[in-house]
Amino acid sequence: MLRIDDLSAWYGEARVLRGVSLDIAAGEVVTLCGRNGAGKTTLLRCVMGLHTGQQGLVELDGRPLTGQPAHRRARAGLGWVPDDRGCYATLTVTETLTLPPVVGPDPWPLERVYEAFPHLHARRNAPSTTLSGGEQQMLALARVLRMGARLLLCDEPTEGLSPLLVAQVGDILRQAKQHGVAVLLVEQNLHFATTVADRHHLLAEGRVVESLENSEVAAREQDLLAYLGI
Amino acid sequence: MRTKALSAVLCSTALLASACGGGGPQGASGAGGLSDGKVVFGVLNDQSGAYSQLSGKNSVSAVELAIEDYKTKYGDKAVVKEFGVESVDHQNKPDVANAKAAELYDRKAVDVILDVPTSSAALKVADVAKEKKKLYFNISAATTDLTGKACNKYTFHYAYDTYMLANGTGRNTTEQGKKNWYIVYPDYAFGQDMEKSFSAAVTDAGGTIVSRDAAPFPNTSGDFSTYLLKAPTLTPKPDVLGTMQAGAELVALVKQYNEFKLRDKGVGLAVGLMFLTDIHSLTPAALAGTTYTDAWYWNYDLVNREFADRFKKVTGARPTFAHAANYSAALQYLEAVQSAGTDGSDAVVAQLEGKTVSDVFLRNGKIRAEDHRVVHDAYLAQVKQPSEVTEDWDYVKILLTIPAEKAFRAPSPDCKLS
Amino acid sequence: MVNFLQHTFNGLVGGAFLALLALGLAVIFGMLRVVNFAHGAIYMLGAFGAYVLLTEVGLDFWWALLLMPLLLALFGIAVERLLVARLARLDPLYNFLLTFGLTLILQDAVKSRYGVQSSPYDAPALLSGTVDLGAFDFPAYRVFVLVVALAVCGAVWWLLTRTRIGMVVRAATERPELSTALGIDVGRWVTPVFGFGIGLAGLAGVLAAPIRAVNPLMGADLIIVVFAVVVIGGLGSIFGSVAAGFAIGLVQAWVQALGEHWALLSQVLVFLVMAGVLLWRPAGLFGREEAPA
Ligand SMILES: Nc1ncnc2c1ncn2[C@@H]1O[C@H](COP(=O)(O)OP(=O)(O)O)[C@@H](O)[C@H]1O
Ligand SMILES: [Mg+2]
Repeated sequence: MLRIDDLSAWYGEARVLRGVSLDIAAGEVVTLCGRNGAGKTTLLRCVMGLHTGQQGLVELDGRPLTGQPAHRRARAGLGWVPDDRGCYATLTVTETLTLPPVVGPDPWPLERVYEAFPHLHARRNAPSTTLSGGEQQMLALARVLRMGARLLLCDEPTEGLSPLLVAQVGDILRQAKQHGVAVLLVEQNLHFATTVADRHHLLAEGRVVESLENSEVAAREQDLLAYLGI
Repeated sequence: MRTKALSAVLCSTALLASACGGGGPQGASGAGGLSDGKVVFGVLNDQSGAYSQLSGKNSVSAVELAIEDYKTKYGDKAVVKEFGVESVDHQNKPDVANAKAAELYDRKAVDVILDVPTSSAALKVADVAKEKKKLYFNISAATTDLTGKACNKYTFHYAYDTYMLANGTGRNTTEQGKKNWYIVYPDYAFGQDMEKSFSAAVTDAGGTIVSRDAAPFPNTSGDFSTYLLKAPTLTPKPDVLGTMQAGAELVALVKQYNEFKLRDKGVGLAVGLMFLTDIHSLTPAALAGTTYTDAWYWNYDLVNREFADRFKKVTGARPTFAHAANYSAALQYLEAVQSAGTDGSDAVVAQLEGKTVSDVFLRNGKIRAEDHRVVHDAYLAQVKQPSEVTEDWDYVKILLTIPAEKAFRAPSPDCKLS
Repeated sequence: MVNFLQHTFNGLVGGAFLALLALGLAVIFGMLRVVNFAHGAIYMLGAFGAYVLLTEVGLDFWWALLLMPLLLALFGIAVERLLVARLARLDPLYNFLLTFGLTLILQDAVKSRYGVQSSPYDAPALLSGTVDLGAFDFPAYRVFVLVVALAVCGAVWWLLTRTRIGMVVRAATERPELSTALGIDVGRWVTPVFGFGIGLAGLAGVLAAPIRAVNPLMGADLIIVVFAVVVIGGLGSIFGSVAAGFAIGLVQAWVQALGEHWALLSQVLVFLVMAGVLLWRPAGLFGREEAPA
């Protein structure tokens, strides 16, 4: 579904991605691990079309996205779950949920979203920035589900969440996966990653230095944790 | 090419010491003849801003008419054969006026500077004239300081001043029975000066200042409604609202005066300073019945009218009093040079001081030796009802001629010439 | 007491002009991050346009009230497409300078055609009387100005808070990049919003024509006060700019009514308030700190 080939990116003169290649098929969850500053967020921004200094190929369903602005890519099925959770002070929870257009064949209706996330329903008329960190994360995920996005770009969705909420995020991602949704997941929490992902890529200094099947992780756990600096 | 450039350099160096080739300056000054063979007028005024219509470029045309008349009058006997007119925009800024005046005298060989609206700019130019010992006729600034503490041997104040305006309008309106005044003035030097002069004139004539308000200046909102709301609520209720606003602020205030229907509520309107161009902007209907003091009016008599016709042929507009006064000042300067036989400043001043004159602008005119105030008849004017206006630009009728000796203040002890 | 009520009402009318201008400035700033210096010149064009429509086309005040905001909105759209958009990627300072230059061009163009003298313009006959407001009479035209301004501000408020267009504009204003990533074509809204803000300034200009001096410089001083109002309300805050506009109008009227020596204060007051607000709440009364990019 998504193919990235030889992707490089720059901030001014500084090169932060050096020829990254990876593929994701429909219904597949792929994680991207790496230390802070490895270039994970930049990679997601490149796929979304938010980063200007990039070179290389990004293809969705076999069609290159090169030159397409972010809003077109969203309409093509990309669901953006940013690391800051993307809430608005001037939009209520309901407005934040219904802001994006419906883009996929299998969107969640609003009622279903509120059934699944009763906390959001309780705060539906509050500005979305007034939610707690956990609620904001749920909102960001619920929003792309409501869009019916086919490929989720999730940037550290579990960061700072309680174990209970982390488990809930896992449930959501697995549910999405069952419906054929693909996920590119940036994740530092290796343990969590193994509960949802099919494959893992380790990113260091802008390069994919290692790619593993989920089954291979257990054996290499200590190495990987050392790589992540934990 | 090279030799030419070289000779130009040599020539300009040599200029410092003596004449260089034909057509150079004769180096005559003092006893007889003209400095650099001609008389150059410098018209320094506002050519782009708020005062550019009431004097501006058309003042240059007025000066050119004076030159024409001088030539016709003296023909072969004319002492001045060559003339120049330099015209410069001072943007109503004192520092610009200061720099431009020095440049006119020093580099453009200007013998006399004319016009200079905006009091702060006018006072700066008086300092320059004094320092350079060159003549300066101020026409369109209103401050009495030009003939008070800032007076000097080379500066003459020609057309009007705040005393003349206040005395003409304040005294006469009060004497006509409108005794209670509410004065609104812009909070800067001109407005404060006008307010003082008006209050003095009104009280002197037996009237009362019920209240006075300083309005912000510049009034960024262009709104005066606070004062207009207040006027009818004062006790005793004022008979007249005296406004010292000028230009666009006057226009806004009068519009709002009409909007609040103050005339219907028994509060009349008197205006401190108004030009023909202001009435044209507001339309006579907006101002009908308003009184003010005018230094000159184009349709006052046939002499004025004839000048106004000539002026219109050149400029397409009717002259304001400032235009007529620029004409007159240029003419009287040339007359003085003619009598003196030279354009040396001291000799010309000697000719002018104490002279009694009459021309199209100066009626019963006299150039006072004590303070260089040029006194002349002034006029209490009233804006016509729209039905009375039969000709374009003929917007006012003259109610009263204020004789020259009463129109202006007595020489101020603050003024020490020389 | 009656006097106080009169001055209060009058202050609201003065505030109405500030509110309309500040509102336009705020929506433009919110969407484009451009401080539109030309706002004052557009206000002037609104008033001058009314004058020209009357004297050269023969269309009265009511036509001007309808046509000038539309024509100026179209003008704003052209300016945005042809000029502002080209500088959008650069430092916002470039667009500020562009609109500053535009102001000078517009002012001088009008000046060279019509001169600096104020041009005459009267209130429509229907509104030239006074209305009885119970405690006091007031010029009908001023009441009309207040009603129009409140209606327009109310309509904008409704549009922004109660419609999908408003929601999209709010989202695009608050977080343009996030909103594009969520499938909103933010660029599509930039041009109409700019035109709309310009149209509001034009409306304020038409409303001002019958009661203020119509001349090329009429907006030049006013715009500085409006900037202060927008800063007080919170840059880009729609509600804040309107509230601050009316509040400043009120306070100015009260202070001026105090008497002779309050004139200076009434003029600098808005800047004093601005300084105070900035010290106390740097983002303005209703503003938010910029979200991190
Ligand atoms: N806006 C920016 N300007 C310049 N450099 C940046 C910017 N954002 C990130 N970087 C740099 O790019 C590199 C990759 O950053 P990022 O993609 O955010 O890493 P990660 O998400 O893996 O922590 C880092 O070295 C970071 O310092
Ligand atoms: Mg990151």
